[in-house]
Amino acid sequence: MSQPGQRAPALSPVLLLGFALRPAPKPALQAAASLAMAALLRGHRSVFERLEGLANRDFLIDPVDLPFRFHLSAALPSPRLRILGEDEEPAAPVAATIKGSLPALIDLLEGRVDGDALFFSRALAVEGDMGAVVALRNAVDGADIALTEDLLRPLGPFGGPARGLLRAGGMLYRRAERDLETLRAALVAPVQRRCDSQEAKLRDLDETVANMPTRRRERQS
Amino acid sequence: MTGGALELVCPAGTPASLRAAVDAGADAIYLGFRDETNARNFPGLNFSRDELADGIKYAGSKGVKVLVAINTYPRAGNPGPWRAAVDDAARLGAWAVILADIGLLDYARQNHPDLRRHLSVQASAANAQAIKFYCDEFGVKRVVLPRVLTVDEIARINDAVEVETEVFAFGGMCVMAEGRCLLSSYATGESPNMNGVCSPAEHIHYEERDGQLVSRLGDFTINKFREGEPAGYPTLCKGRFRACSRDSYLFEEPVSLDVSNILPDLMKAGVTALKIEGRQRGKAYVAQVVSAFRRAVDAAARGEQPDTADLASITEGGQQSTGAYEKGWR
Repeated sequence: MSQPGQRAPALSPVLLLGFALRPAPKPALQAAASLAMAALLRGHRSVFERLEGLANRDFLIDPVDLPFRFHLSAALPSPRLRILGEDEEPAAPVAATIKGSLPALIDLLEGRVDGDALFFSRALAVEGDMGAVVALRNAVDGADIALTEDLLRPLGPFGGPARGLLRAGGMLYRRAERDLETLRAALVAPVQRRCDSQEAKLRDLDETVANMPTRRRERQS
Repeated sequence: MTGGALELVCPAGTPASLRAAVDAGADAIYLGFRDETNARNFPGLNFSRDELADGIKYAGSKGVKVLVAINTYPRAGNPGPWRAAVDDAARLGAWAVILADIGLLDYARQNHPDLRRHLSVQASAANAQAIKFYCDEFGVKRVVLPRVLTVDEIARINDAVEVETEVFAFGGMCVMAEGRCLLSSYATGESPNMNGVCSPAEHIHYEERDGQLVSRLGDFTINKFREGEPAGYPTLCKGRFRACSRDSYLFEEPVSLDVSNILPDLMKAGVTALKIEGRQRGKAYVAQVVSAFRRAVDAAARGEQPDTADLASITEGGQQSTGAYEKGWR
């Protein structure tokens, strides 16, 4: 989550979920993270194999809309995903830090979006060893990861009801996302109107300056 | 050569991207081995020999051809990895190899005469005489033209040669004479020509400074992006530098090439194939661009005006350009 002086995350269902998760006991979150990691290793060992040439395979994954971060240690034979509190530092030096909203990070993990496009649009921020970041991105993109399916696969026939629940949850999430966007637009509408008005004034001023004779512009500057 | 339906040659950096490109409607896929023998030698990218075999099988089952790019220049005294790449591409059933070095072209012609040879853009063959030389001496069947020619210049080349030509259609805008650009070498000691990498990832640093995203390549600051301003690749040719007391893009702005609105002109100019750039991009990008260009190429073949406006969101710097094909600055 954002700290004073940092860019604020967007209003989203994940942000609200993050507030709700604040009191959640860390061991419960850690258990969920370890389960996800075990599913990834079981279904997509190639991701970790593709990273074997890297000197440091530790990454800090920072979902900016959640009150915790992930420390990924991607080295075989026992890759791990540790939950870190907001002020907690990774136990080992990381090669790089990757920051983005949780939905953007999951889209990236599942190959639904292009990492470069996310980066160009500034929806993703990276710091540290870019060689390691590029290797991780390419390794993840090369696997056909489907997080929900990977997690439910071990449940076999019992996965059906869970899939149904998740589908319903997905519909609720998308509805909440639309509602929150409407709420956000309503809240910022007065400020937005003032910004639009000031932008129009700035455009007029730019035009006036551009139309001034060159000598007058030079004298005034 | 005369105009006709354009062949869509699409990038694959991983097996998943290959499947995405095939499923999205590619006519051919180009890819490279996981080493310095190709010009996209990025960490975690490219194909092992086994992955190439599987890829050729998958593409072949859908009638799609696979081309192997072996388009860097062999190091003096160590041509082994490059020759092995040609041998393996032939053994595994690649439709063609894309080569730049004349020694390697000669090796391929002598040892694998039935393996189709394409001339890489890295050879920078930009006039009819150079192209004829490669065709006469090495039996090259297709030439990938550098991104520095206008449509009229391409038409004149096609009138003068018998070989197929392929042009870049979408993606990275390389504004330099490819195969001869030393900017990356100057800053990092590594280049696309010898090491397969322009702006190697391990030499790139990003940091947030005073609310701006600062990108550096080696010891050089390449750019500073304001809050909300679309970012671009940290290459020297697209850096923003201070000259005459003013910060500006001296060579080229962060922008993506997009020829979708001039496809009919390229067909008339006698172009055989379109190359989509982006072996380093993700499978989502590959699927989106290939399906958009499939529709555009099919529309152009029906005599309709193509449209790929929906690709704006995945372009570098949020901008598209027809680049040198329509040289407005001349």
